[in-house]
Amino acid sequence: MSATSICAALNRPTAAAALNGSASLLFSTFMADDNKSLALALKRRDPDVLDALIEQYQYRLFRYLLYITGHHERAEDFFQETWIRVLERGHQYDGKSKFEAWLFSIARHLVIDWQRQKKAQSLDALTNPDEGAPMEFAGDDPSPLHQVLTHESEATVQASMEKLPAIYREVLLLRFQEELGLVEIAAVLSAPLSTVKSRLYRGLEDLRGLLAGTGEPA
Amino acid sequence: MSQELHARAQQLIAQERVEGISAPDQQWLRLHLAECISCAARAGATEQALRSLRGLSIALPSGLAARTQFRVRLRAQQLRAEPRWRMVWAACGISWAFGAATAPYVWRGLEWAGHRIGVPNIIWELGFGLWWALPAVVVAVILLMENAAGRSESVWKRQEN
Repeated sequence: MSATSICAALNRPTAAAALNGSASLLFSTFMADDNKSLALALKRRDPDVLDALIEQYQYRLFRYLLYITGHHERAEDFFQETWIRVLERGHQYDGKSKFEAWLFSIARHLVIDWQRQKKAQSLDALTNPDEGAPMEFAGDDPSPLHQVLTHESEATVQASMEKLPAIYREVLLLRFQEELGLVEIAAVLSAPLSTVKSRLYRGLEDLRGLLAGTGEPA
Repeated sequence: MSQELHARAQQLIAQERVEGISAPDQQWLRLHLAECISCAARAGATEQALRSLRGLSIALPSGLAARTQFRVRLRAQQLRAEPRWRMVWAACGISWAFGAATAPYVWRGLEWAGHRIGVPNIIWELGFGLWWALPAVVVAVILLMENAAGRSESVWKRQEN
């Protein structure tokens, strides 16, 4: 529904018709070609396009926010704030990069701003565990992330993910669930490519170690 | 088999997934994994970790999209109103500045006209005061109109909901 509605909202009835049914794969290609139209629609603050985008990206954005905040209600607040920010700053999206990378970058900045206000620490201290405390899950028991990760068969993976620092969870999600490129991840994180790579290697190694049953990151 | 070979294999296992490796490296890795049980187990564990990660799912809060859409639309309405207000205030500012610059001439003009027509001084002095207050009166009228429009809009929204 969402892919079709975005096309329709962008006044692309032909594309919308072509996207009915099982053509979601085509959608990403279409969107890559049509990011310029999306940028124009965001510049116009077109409410129909925004509605369609919210529906289209709700799962991915919420999952990303949940991974980096580790808190269900907070992720929900940031979800809404992110879309308000998209509305207000839509003119800044140039259509040259993937929309989701820009979207995640906005969400991330909101979370970091909030962290900064909360802890009055530097950005690096919040994001780099070697220089300070990383973003941590709330101390609720069981953890909110645990509550929303649904299937029982995923218990081991979710437990392992919770043990990983947020910065590693974040890059693992962006790379292996969102399947963003390294350069795109670097743009989302506003970090050098080398930092992205090192976090990915470290995160992957830790996750593998945790899943292998060592109980601690490798 | 030397430790360097295992270290290289382990590095390539991760690199293949994170950023990709060249064809010769891929071939070397395949051959090594075919011969080395521990490195093959490590590659399997890494692959399994990624499969598990990709298989993770979360539950979305119900009505999240609808609530967000509502908030975004409200904010969009506010944003649409902002440029209008900027224009109103800019017009007022220009009007007041122009009024201040021309006040002595207007005063003399009204004084001359008042004497010429023969009206009491208080009348043309009040006229001068009104001339100064005109921008504020215009803003007040616009404000009243906006408030009336806002009230009818919220009634309409309540009915829609």
